[in-house]
Amino acid sequence: MNSSLKIARADKWNQSDILFCVARPNDSDRLFVGSSDFGVYEFDLSAEKPERVRLEGEQHQSYVTGLAVAGPMLISGSYDGQLIWWDLAEQRSTRVVPAHDRWIRRVIASPDQTRIISVADDMLCKVWDVATGELLTQFSDHGEKTPHHYPSMLYAVAASPDGRFLATGDRVGHVAIWNADSYEKVGEVETPVMYTWDPRQRRHSIGGIRSLAFSADGTQLAVGGMGKVGNIDHLGGPSRLEVFEWSSGTRRFEIEDDKKKGLIEQIVWHPSGDWLLGAGGDHKGFLNIYDMHSGELVTQESSDGHVHGLVADAALENLVTAGHNRLERWTIAAG
Amino acid sequence: MKRKAWCGSADHPVSRRGFLGAAAAGTAFAADMTVLDALKQPALAEELKRQQKRVILLWLAGGASQLETWDPKPGVETGGPFRTIQTTVPGLHISELLPQQSERMQQTAVIRSLNTKIADHGGGYRLMETGRLPEPGVAFPHLGAILARELGRIDSHVPDHVSMYTSTEGRRKGTAGFLGARYNPMFLTENMMPENIRRLEAISEADHQDRAALRDFFAERFSRTVDSAAVASHGTAYERVRGLMASDRLFDISEEPQAMRDKYGPTQFGEQCLIARRLVEAGVPFVKVARAWWDSHGQNFETHRELCADLDHCMSALMDDLADRGLLENTLVITLGEFGRTPRINGSLGRDHFARAWSCTLTGCGIKGGAVYGKTDDKGETVVDGEIGAADLFATIFAAVGIDYEKEYMLGSRPIPIADFGATPVEEVLA
Repeated sequence: MNSSLKIARADKWNQSDILFCVARPNDSDRLFVGSSDFGVYEFDLSAEKPERVRLEGEQHQSYVTGLAVAGPMLISGSYDGQLIWWDLAEQRSTRVVPAHDRWIRRVIASPDQTRIISVADDMLCKVWDVATGELLTQFSDHGEKTPHHYPSMLYAVAASPDGRFLATGDRVGHVAIWNADSYEKVGEVETPVMYTWDPRQRRHSIGGIRSLAFSADGTQLAVGGMGKVGNIDHLGGPSRLEVFEWSSGTRRFEIEDDKKKGLIEQIVWHPSGDWLLGAGGDHKGFLNIYDMHSGELVTQESSDGHVHGLVADAALENLVTAGHNRLERWTIAAG
Repeated sequence: MKRKAWCGSADHPVSRRGFLGAAAAGTAFAADMTVLDALKQPALAEELKRQQKRVILLWLAGGASQLETWDPKPGVETGGPFRTIQTTVPGLHISELLPQQSERMQQTAVIRSLNTKIADHGGGYRLMETGRLPEPGVAFPHLGAILARELGRIDSHVPDHVSMYTSTEGRRKGTAGFLGARYNPMFLTENMMPENIRRLEAISEADHQDRAALRDFFAERFSRTVDSAAVASHGTAYERVRGLMASDRLFDISEEPQAMRDKYGPTQFGEQCLIARRLVEAGVPFVKVARAWWDSHGQNFETHRELCADLDHCMSALMDDLADRGLLENTLVITLGEFGRTPRINGSLGRDHFARAWSCTLTGCGIKGGAVYGKTDDKGETVVDGEIGAADLFATIFAAVGIDYEKEYMLGSRPIPIADFGATPVEEVLA
């Protein structure tokens, strides 16, 4: 890869709320975010000073934590357990689906945009028909309790770019890989370091798998989170990335970074497979570029706030991050 | 919301002198109350009744969030993601993280208006363990030591004051201060079986019993010829030690049926709550169970999802078990920590230390179940009604278990009230 890649902030728009997720119809200037004020908002990035507009109609009753674009629709998921369909042209909600019994953590669209996949703390992965809103199937390979008898959480889901596979990842570091047609489990990998249980000082846990991403050819799976934490009062652990050849269960890389700590919340592979981008943070944010030949973190940039969501163009040259009190636009280019 | 202070009438509290006299009488005559018809003597009957009161303190070490427990603010920027649930008390909502508690709120009073100002762990702990600010040169006693002294029996065969704190973060033993070592806690940290009270393995049970019998024989002969308080005290001390040695089984929950253990659940906190029930059932007047560590500067919501599940289940099992055994009406269960947490959500989705507007609960003995006292503003940033401090809370606790909160200890010639000067109980939560 070109090890001289540079990340540069192009714009920053401060917000009063926390933005947990972001979605964008194919490379358009329309950007949608999910907020801690329970709203879904649109920004027009072509404007000199983008103003946010709240989508109207039925609203969520808790933090909006997942967004996915599927054709003319935007589908949001929330800690209230509901999925809401929004008509992008009308900027209004058109369908509300009680989807999960617990917090929805992530919502994605299948690559062909015919299905929506959601994961939640009821530990279920559910697949929905975009056109009808009907539940097509549900499955799980994730325990409801941690080994220490506390509620577990199902944070992450990803689809392979060719649409053949899904992956789900939970709080205790278990990843299951699924055939996206039959929904049968076809593989699994373990990342136990992502889960820190403190049995002595504080007697609870922190961490979990927060992000998953398949490589362009679908053979590799990147898993993001945080390494072992000394003081679990804070997000004070090293960011941690593990990369697997998932069909054989071979772990290619374990990459930790202590300079900018915290959770890796989002992962995006470059189409070439040469490198990938990870973003997240503790009370601050980071964007990291990892070389997928050497397994090294090669480039790093800071954000003033934790990065929760990320959307990028196909070439991974322009991206927007959503996070704590801010929306930021970035570019990645050879330095 | 105005609170009524204790009326101060001499008719209500038993006088200190009368109190002590009655206590002494209770101790001396308890062995044969039927002969003396002790319960027909008002002061003594009151004293004996008071001595049946028990307190279990569920110490939420590190500072639980009032917004994720007892004073939720859904839908505002400080409110966080959780919704509220309606409880069995009309109009009373608590966090959805406490579903089992929501079904039991008719037994619990919530105080939502603590303003204790001190928001560092050490200072907050010292304030909330003694009910007052520290003073140079005065070692104020821990709440548990005061209750052990006031509710315990001098001839008790079980410990007066047991404190369980297994996590290392924030672990503080708590001291009896000027009340003396007699009221220091039996402090359990590494495991739940008290150390150093077991009979030495080198001494058989038979030898142990024979030695006791021989000592009793000589002591009884000696006391026939020498009428001395010192001799009596010596005998009492031996009795107490033998009682404590025999109390180790109270900490052994393997004696409980599996069905009962299942009700409390598999977590350490659950097991410790079960031990607490066994202890109060056996007559231990004060038990503290510390559940650490709620100090959620990062990932507050994940932390409370974990810890509230533990608190909700274990506290509910404890309340049910106490009620089933007829113990809840005489046992006060308190949830309290050193402070609450900030309404503001920080960049790590955490909440920081906050002592200006936070909550606690009181359940059972002497409490008006379903009562809600105090109010915070819409964002939970300030108390807008019924503000109280640590001393008022202590006065409320004392009043709930029948202790005159204006009672004074004498430290040399200086009177020290058991609840700090100016404290008044929250009458609205008292039965």
